[in-house]
Amino acid sequence: MLLLLKLSWRNLWRNKRRTILTVTSVSLGLALLLISLGIGDGSHKQLVDSAVRLGSGHVLIQAAGYQENAEFKMTLSGDDLMRIGEWLREFSANGDLVIESSVRRGFISGMMSSADGASGALVTAVEPVKERSVSKFSEKIVEGTFFEGNYKNPVVIGRGIAEKLELDIGDKAVLMAQGLSGEEIESILLRICGIIDTGTDELNQVLALVTLPDFQKGFRMGENVHQVALFTTDSDLSDKLALITSAQFPDLEVLTWADAMPELRDAIALDDGFNYVFQGTIFILVAFTVMNTLLMSVLERKREFSLLDAIGLSPSGRFRMVMLEAVFVSMMAVVIGFILGFSVHLYLKIHGLPLSAFYSDDMAGEFDFGGVMLDPVLYSDLSWSRIAGSVLMVTSITIILAVIPAFRAGRAGDVHMLSGK
Amino acid sequence: MNSNILLRLDEVTRTYEQGEHIVHALDHVTLDVKKGEFLALAGPSGSGKTTLLNIAAGLDQPTEGKAFFQESDLGLLSRRELARLRLGKIGFVFQSHNLVPVLTAEENTEFILLLRGVPDKIRRPRVHEILKEVGLQGMEKRRPSELSGGQQQRVAVARAIAAEPDLILADEPTANLDSKTAQALLALLEKLNREHGTTFIYSTHDPEVMKRAHRIVTLTDGKIKSDEIVPGNHIRS
Repeated sequence: MLLLLKLSWRNLWRNKRRTILTVTSVSLGLALLLISLGIGDGSHKQLVDSAVRLGSGHVLIQAAGYQENAEFKMTLSGDDLMRIGEWLREFSANGDLVIESSVRRGFISGMMSSADGASGALVTAVEPVKERSVSKFSEKIVEGTFFEGNYKNPVVIGRGIAEKLELDIGDKAVLMAQGLSGEEIESILLRICGIIDTGTDELNQVLALVTLPDFQKGFRMGENVHQVALFTTDSDLSDKLALITSAQFPDLEVLTWADAMPELRDAIALDDGFNYVFQGTIFILVAFTVMNTLLMSVLERKREFSLLDAIGLSPSGRFRMVMLEAVFVSMMAVVIGFILGFSVHLYLKIHGLPLSAFYSDDMAGEFDFGGVMLDPVLYSDLSWSRIAGSVLMVTSITIILAVIPAFRAGRAGDVHMLSGK
Repeated sequence: MNSNILLRLDEVTRTYEQGEHIVHALDHVTLDVKKGEFLALAGPSGSGKTTLLNIAAGLDQPTEGKAFFQESDLGLLSRRELARLRLGKIGFVFQSHNLVPVLTAEENTEFILLLRGVPDKIRRPRVHEILKEVGLQGMEKRRPSELSGGQQQRVAVARAIAAEPDLILADEPTANLDSKTAQALLALLEKLNREHGTTFIYSTHDPEVMKRAHRIVTLTDGKIKSDEIVPGNHIRS
């Protein structure tokens, strides 16, 4: 075996330029794969994080059927909240899963009006202090504050509503909606304390945030809320958290962010699909390069394989020799490709990839994906399982493609090539 | 088969297609080679010498007839079995392109011993001894590209004899050598034949090389024209 290893290694360097070009193309393929996976996964994670921290959560607990029907009366009762609260207090870290925070929310659709007109509104009731620590609402305030100051019944409204109703900080607005009784239209006089720009026009046209106590009082909800949102440290842990939570509360509806935002989940899946096609195309090109190189190398050495056959190296020995050459190529390519790809990944993880380089200034802030505002800087995120999968794929493609040339080397044994005539 | 017979060709015919024509490289050749013979195959180019050597080594198969090495019918062996047979019992020296270009003289010489799994303790001294014997002491670490044609041929001989095969087949081993080197190489082959009893069959059309043989088989148009013992040359066996 040592002899074959020595032969294979030296054979590779007989044509240095060709070997270097092959190793370079395979390693660039791997590096490109790692970089594109890193950017893809990173951008998806950022999207999920943006969505999760802009009115949703990693895991949502709601009354059974609320996701489908969204009826105002489908609430979590005080007893439910007590059970959830106790469980959260007792919840200790499960492996790497930690519940970072939880917030209670209420929702209602209504009509917001000012002296200048009326507009439909999707009202979210929040706990301002807790919400500030987990969501990005407070970061998106463009005028005023996120429930700071001494306004009575403060409201934060989307930029679109503010423009339509010509509302400014300190102005009054009336919110009308059907309360829990289901019979009377409730109305609350609100004071504008902040204007928010979520980055998504559709949301800016309808979003209104009020405090949970004002909401519960105004719509006669008592202690009830519509949702408890749980936040963990990593969106990848959402499924695990949802599983544990739903086992704990089988009578309630437990959703992951993907269940709650199917359009975002589908958009990510579609994007993943395009990425796989792109990555597959890269690898088909790389695969043909490797195959071509190995085949050329074997065909050029037919005389030598005949010599090896004549002096007693078995067909399987010649087969193994060429396979080892492919193994060496893949090993070198994997090391170089990994170093290259991982270095770029680390750079993009720390410094990010500014999207501003790819679109014009007038598009800035209008770039959304699956209904979620895309951050202007993309950060790479690459898991070890992704790296291992990519390395395995590159190695196996290179080695599988060597089978045909190696088989030909095993079959080569044309004695007439050795006659020297 | 007589246990003293190492190689037997029985009515061996080998034909090749050349366009619409069929060429008889060997035409019903029957030949017995005894152990310890030092046999020269003579004849002009295209007379079938190389084809006969290739068939004797199991590198080529007869179109008709049979080739036996000791008790084995070479036509019945698989490629793997033939490779194993060559590895264990037959050494081959070609006219040119004899060496593995990426290996040094020492590594080329030990190639067969390595394939046979001969331990390092035995292999290394043997390789050095043989390279010394063929006059290549001090050139062990040179690759074929750093050796002259004669030196390369001597490495090929060293490789062929290192494993002490029963039979060494050499296809015009002196064709690319100057007369002095050719004579030195022949002297080495004779010494091996004399001292180790190794059987040699070599092809040549050089009269000087031919007359060193103990037996000369002359081929013409694929047929044995003559088969004669050289008077005065010693034949073992």
